[in-house]
Amino acid sequence: MEPLLLSKREKRRLAGQYADLCLTCGTCAGGCPVTGVDGLDVRKVVRLALLGLDQEVIDSRFPWVCTLCGRCEHACPMNIDLVKLLRSARGMRDRDKVPGVLHKGVAMCLKTGNNVGIPHEDFMFLLQDLGAELAEELPGFEVPVDKKGAKYLFTINSKEPFAEPEDMMFWWRILTAAGESWTVASKNWEGVNWGLFTGDDASMKEIVGRVVQNYKELECEYLVLPE
Amino acid sequence: MKFLSVHDLLKQYLEEGRIKVDKSIHQELTTFHDPCNYGRKSERTFGHGYYEEPRWITQQCCENFVDMYPNRANNFCCGAGGGAWASPYVEERIFYGRAKAKQIKDTGAKLLIAPCHNCRDQIMKSLRKEYDFMDVEVKYLWELVADSLIIEPKDE
Repeated sequence: MEPLLLSKREKRRLAGQYADLCLTCGTCAGGCPVTGVDGLDVRKVVRLALLGLDQEVIDSRFPWVCTLCGRCEHACPMNIDLVKLLRSARGMRDRDKVPGVLHKGVAMCLKTGNNVGIPHEDFMFLLQDLGAELAEELPGFEVPVDKKGAKYLFTINSKEPFAEPEDMMFWWRILTAAGESWTVASKNWEGVNWGLFTGDDASMKEIVGRVVQNYKELECEYLVLPE
Repeated sequence: MKFLSVHDLLKQYLEEGRIKVDKSIHQELTTFHDPCNYGRKSERTFGHGYYEEPRWITQQCCENFVDMYPNRANNFCCGAGGGAWASPYVEERIFYGRAKAKQIKDTGAKLLIAPCHNCRDQIMKSLRKEYDFMDVEVKYLWELVADSLIIEPKDE
């Protein structure tokens, strides 16, 4: 076994600002449901980071099997920023090595304005069609799209128009019952930001920026985050 | 820029009487899942965790409520957070969810409220089947409210 030189620590890149405060108590790992998967756990990840073995963490599946739920961080007696550490490991992977569809979703969102690439016309048609369906129950109902000066701007989880469109009606019913002034944007309406999950701050910021731009252009008072 | 969460809005509507709900529609024992993002992570990032608001909203719509244990800041993740629902590590995601499944089953509840798309999908579409509790119905928080609405005819 190769000796681990303390000088290696200088090369450490994983963002765990307070990781060297770790007492190695294992509280974090003790409360985590995926401790032991692939022989790793969050306490070991902290040790690897402190020893400068960043690449081992980045190449492992652990930061992705972890759900970034923050239970470890909440329990940590030294309040170490464990979620930030694990998320930064995700961000340091080459984008083509991000598991599954997550990065593809980010790229799709940057390109089309939503994670699953629903074309503008299809989205407009769906809102109109579903709106007409709900109008049979609530006469006069239609989905307010790009309504300038509405009080609330709602984003939409693309999963709904993509796979479970009728679930959008739950909110529509509530907003109608409340007599609310609200709107959805016709473009960049995606409410899910997978850059958060892939550790991709630049894309995350761009996607948030587009939502903020809608909010400003439509002169809404509040942005509602339905997730 | 002003923003608010769905919990703030639903609570406001109910408190101000802008919507009315009938809790007799949901008689069954009901429990609530704390999503990590609305709880722990919101608390850490924004200084406020949404623990009490969704419980209050749920109890406006349900007669019988029971909490899971542990709950609030110590709640277990559904197992599909952080993008895991869309990840290829399916076996690990289901393994992770065993803690959540046990918590839910231990309550004896027949209705579970989840105010997060991701948590709802993991519990409803995966964990119920994998851990054998198909008899527990799963609803979004806003689905529960929508299903409990008393729609009054409009005064024209």
